[in-house]
Amino acid sequence: MLTRADLAKYPFLNEATDYVKSLGLSIEDIRPEEYGPVLDRAEKRLEEALSKGRITANIADENTEILSFPVSNLILSLTGEERAKRRYALAEAKRAYELLKQESPDKLELIASSAFQWKLRRTNMQFGRRLYDFSIGLTDYLRNAIHLKEPRWKLSNRVLDHGFVLATRDEIARLLEEEVRSKVLDRASRPTASVNVPPFLGQRIEHVRNLTVKYLGTPVHYELPRVPVPEAMPPCVRNLISLLDSGKNVQHMGRFTLAAFLVNIGAEQEEIIRVFKPASDFSERMTRYQVEHIAGQRGGRTKYTCPMCTTLKTHGVCYKPDEICATIRNPLSYYKTQARTLTRGKKTVN
Amino acid sequence: MEQREYGFLMFKEKFMVRHRGFKTAESLLTAARDLAPKHIYYSTAYYQQPTASMEEKGWLGADLVFDIDADHLETPCKTDHDTWKCKACNTTGKGTTPKLCPKCKNDRLDSETWLCEKCLSQAKEETFKLLGILYADFGINPDDIGIFFSGHRGYHVHVYSEGFRFLRDEERREIADYVLGQQVDFQLQGLAETKTRGVTVIEGPQLGEPGWRGRIVSGVYDLLHENGKTGLSDSLKAWDNKRVLEGGSFWSSAKGVGLSTWKDLAVKAVENGSARIDSVVTTDIHRLIRLPGTLNGNTGLLAMQVSERGLEDFDPFTDSIAFEGKLRIHVTEAPSLRIKDSVMGPFNNETVEIPEAAALILLCKHRAEPVGQRKS
Repeated sequence: MLTRADLAKYPFLNEATDYVKSLGLSIEDIRPEEYGPVLDRAEKRLEEALSKGRITANIADENTEILSFPVSNLILSLTGEERAKRRYALAEAKRAYELLKQESPDKLELIASSAFQWKLRRTNMQFGRRLYDFSIGLTDYLRNAIHLKEPRWKLSNRVLDHGFVLATRDEIARLLEEEVRSKVLDRASRPTASVNVPPFLGQRIEHVRNLTVKYLGTPVHYELPRVPVPEAMPPCVRNLISLLDSGKNVQHMGRFTLAAFLVNIGAEQEEIIRVFKPASDFSERMTRYQVEHIAGQRGGRTKYTCPMCTTLKTHGVCYKPDEICATIRNPLSYYKTQARTLTRGKKTVN
Repeated sequence: MEQREYGFLMFKEKFMVRHRGFKTAESLLTAARDLAPKHIYYSTAYYQQPTASMEEKGWLGADLVFDIDADHLETPCKTDHDTWKCKACNTTGKGTTPKLCPKCKNDRLDSETWLCEKCLSQAKEETFKLLGILYADFGINPDDIGIFFSGHRGYHVHVYSEGFRFLRDEERREIADYVLGQQVDFQLQGLAETKTRGVTVIEGPQLGEPGWRGRIVSGVYDLLHENGKTGLSDSLKAWDNKRVLEGGSFWSSAKGVGLSTWKDLAVKAVENGSARIDSVVTTDIHRLIRLPGTLNGNTGLLAMQVSERGLEDFDPFTDSIAFEGKLRIHVTEAPSLRIKDSVMGPFNNETVEIPEAAALILLCKHRAEPVGQRKS
């Protein structure tokens, strides 16, 4: 059984959510007069996450700890700061890991199998000098371990026996940390039900917004990527960069075009990834993977070329074609032509 | 069936007719008859709407699929029967097609491969190794596995278990790397040197342990027992398992053999123990793969399911023949080949009447022309 002390340690668990629900409170009820410590702790969670990337794991009061978690989530979503969500999820996950690694095997098992539905078995096996307390179902292992890049997490280096991966107690805690991170991020990314924001929250929301800017910086402004001749880029590509920069959603074809274009004009991989960074759903790992794929360093090893203008017109990627566009059939030719003209011009000036 | 996407590669047109869906076997058969395609594929993935565009299909999961193809095997006979030609500079070569033309660095190369018995039996060997790993390490139930001859140069293994269906590409990559023994770190597998009271002892995995640990040890055992024991040092040639049977550690059972030698052997053991799959196929969660029960347009042979029991004795040149009778063709040049018990060829610019199955292989491989229908 999970105790209330457990819920205070792990307020992201569904059991904790159920407990909060059972209290029948709405956000208007969390008034500063009665719930001052809850509001303070909620804000503190976010402040710690943003400033240090870690949230303290010591628990002053169980109820405060449990209640502050959903309030933190609410404040976070009301700030509308996408960038803060990842950082917050990571900090909550790290906090959980600190606590999880001190738990008994029984408690770990309870949390993993009841809260996260892992297939987890207790074992007592020794291979070489390593003692394994657990074996975890392959899919549960993979879902979390793919985020961990040290060689010891690579499946090839694990003891895999009939669909179960052997793991130590600490490793189970570490894998749970990943599960927590996904869960918190998932929750923070869920659209908030329309709530009337009580006035006493306003100031705290504003504070967190300021902290986000303070620690994560102001969102960078539309800047052309550092490519050989940035001025030679066609209007469609410029438009894609500016759309991404303003946090607007760009469809698959647009993203592909942009990445393929940049790869083909010889932009550095880091530079390409930077262009995608402002996207609201930005995942560095995914972007890196896609870019490497397009650059032919992964998968089918084909270096992709930029789609033709006709294709881009069909997919609504073509944007305000100019007179040079009328003479070319692929954005890459636009770049080549323009780059030649522009660099030639420079030589004359110099 | 209605959740799969189907694709057809035609004889004339060079593109794939895809995003097709069928609710019944009859409608698929009708389409196959109408189109008369060279190859028929279906998706390993399940979709809400298989006929929608890629973004709108609604991915519902995919079978875990492994492809073993002679293209990815390093068989010594390849230099006898496979050739390649660079599309840019016309340089030609024998054996496996390189990624880039060695002369002009172009990446567009044509390859001419041959349907070779040795390559196919090596592919079968790899399939057995794969199945062993899938059962023992991944715990997959044999009832959830389908084994198929591709109709050309290899075998496909499909895993239908729901437990694997929802894995994303990165997770499948881990599985592919595991099967291939990629990035196996011997220290992490327990192979290490330790000093106890001034005596150096080599510790390592033990026979019978699960996963790569056990496979490394049995692989090294095999190397020590191998005929000829080529490349082994004298002390390893003299190795016997006496000391191990007396209760000594396997890794300390050969005098004067150090960690680095054991590691070299372990590398070979992993190489031999892994199954040479094409990881691209396993990783791709939107893959179209050959539909079993159809003819492979590269050979005219039937792509067909093979039971695991039947795999050992499965003979592609007998069991996957779709055409009986004889046919007259003019062969330009081709190595010898066998259909059932009759061996024919090698051929060199001659008109022959041979079993229809053999004739179709030669025709599909562009090594022959039909006689009597030559263009004037």
